[in-house]
Amino acid sequence: MRVKLTEKDVLNPLGEVKGKNITLNHLPYDFDRVSMVDNTKPGADLILKVLSESMGNRELQWVHKPAGAPATDFQIQKAASADLAILALGDCGSCTSWVVLDAIRLEEMGIPTISICSDHFTPFARELAKSHGLGDLRILEVEHPIAGLSTDEVNDKASKIVPSFLYLLQIP
Amino acid sequence: MMNMAKKDTPVISNNACGCLIDDILEKKDDQGDRLCSTSESDMEFFVDPDPEKTSVDFYQRRLTDGLPIIPPTRERVDRFLNYSEYDPEDVLAVLPPKMGQATMEKIAINSVMAGCRPGFQPVLEHVIKAISHDRFNLAGVNATTHPISICTIINGPLSNELSINSGAGCLGPGNMASATIGRSLRLCLINIAGAVPGVGDHATHGSPAKYSYCFTENEYESPWDPFRVELDCREEASTVTVMAAEAPHNVNDHRSQIAEDLLDTIAHTAATAGCNNSHVPGELLVIMSPEHAKTISKDGWEKEDVKNYIHENSVLPTVLGDRGGRKLDDKWIRGGDVLITRSPSDVLLLVSGGPGRHTMISHGFGNGSLSVTLPVILKDGSLSYSVEDFKNR
Repeated sequence: MRVKLTEKDVLNPLGEVKGKNITLNHLPYDFDRVSMVDNTKPGADLILKVLSESMGNRELQWVHKPAGAPATDFQIQKAASADLAILALGDCGSCTSWVVLDAIRLEEMGIPTISICSDHFTPFARELAKSHGLGDLRILEVEHPIAGLSTDEVNDKASKIVPSFLYLLQIP
Repeated sequence: MMNMAKKDTPVISNNACGCLIDDILEKKDDQGDRLCSTSESDMEFFVDPDPEKTSVDFYQRRLTDGLPIIPPTRERVDRFLNYSEYDPEDVLAVLPPKMGQATMEKIAINSVMAGCRPGFQPVLEHVIKAISHDRFNLAGVNATTHPISICTIINGPLSNELSINSGAGCLGPGNMASATIGRSLRLCLINIAGAVPGVGDHATHGSPAKYSYCFTENEYESPWDPFRVELDCREEASTVTVMAAEAPHNVNDHRSQIAEDLLDTIAHTAATAGCNNSHVPGELLVIMSPEHAKTISKDGWEKEDVKNYIHENSVLPTVLGDRGGRKLDDKWIRGGDVLITRSPSDVLLLVSGGPGRHTMISHGFGNGSLSVTLPVILKDGSLSYSVEDFKNR
């Protein structure tokens, strides 16, 4: 008599993801008012300053938000009262999460955004944006690390991303 | 030569046997399940998959915490689902960063893997519901480089029913309920939420507390109201609390005889430059042994007095939290010092443990995450007195 032994199947523990799709807002061709959204991580303010200076004469609005947690409603509303928002800095897990998620909140409100993340965390930032329905979120990479560096060193790294930044904004 | 019409050649399936229908109908078959002679076997037995083999397979696919798992077969998962009031495909929560759907079935699968008992299913459902509250900030908690784990505290009659240890060794190891409930949560975070180390979970060093961090209050030996009663839960209610908490740090104090002296030791241990609270003040978990609690309460101190004292005295110089240019919000600074908790209610004070003069403290994630406590209730909102209340509904 031949007996066949078959192992029972095991079920899959992975959670399924339901795709969501949000439309990315186009960057404005011409703009006056820009929100510079600073999550208070070391170097975030320096990077934003370098980028703001590269844009020429614009009306800048500085907004502070928490690093590892969502921006408050007040902070988001303030950031949304502009033609464009630049968010920095995602150089760790939770701050990268909230740079991306707050950028998505602004995009959903119709505000085009550019997020600045360090290169170590950009792959995660892109995956996170994708799982929230905005795989095309504009993310510029700055060389990791930023924390622990001197002002000059941060400025140096920030100036390296200015050409890509200006290219995105179509500023010659 | 005449052209012969080519007949269609009948295609014979590989599985076809040569048995004639008449033979089958006429043949006396004593064993009704006897397969015919072309079958490769006479009988097929289904056996449980080998745990070692399944564990290695799941490990290579990054579905585990590194330890062996119990293979989640359909039968095992169904035994857990018997304890769920919901349909297996109902989505209880969507968990970041991956935005995976936490269905009852997925929770059950991960719980089987962790080594839970079927009756733990309602507890895990409440835990998943709690961590999905906005104030908990699961997105930040999962992704951060900070070694923050999730401490699960199960209080009330349920902790007795599940035999969770509140005496010596309450934080581990050795208790099946606390070990596996904490572990199941971690597996749900890895597999449903996508908090895979290096991929969705960026904790620089990780933490031993990420394997499992679960305990219950020793309400019998506490001189004060239980934690859950303090939160306005009814005496007969069981509760599930989740808090983003670092691995616990010990406060060793064998000598203090009065409340202030002992609380000073606790406050000095809590006020460290390296905690997240020194940058963004938030919650602090204090797990006091019964002997420490007695030293304090015998001086007439109530829980509120203890929490006030810890809040007022867990301070450190602002300059220690401000190095490298990050400026602390002025509202947290008092006379050049930062208080690591925002108010006395940020101190989560519980009594647990066996004999000995120790207290454990766990810093939170600062104000980046706030603890959530839920009563253990049935779908219709009524209190549950036993896990059996959830069965087969």
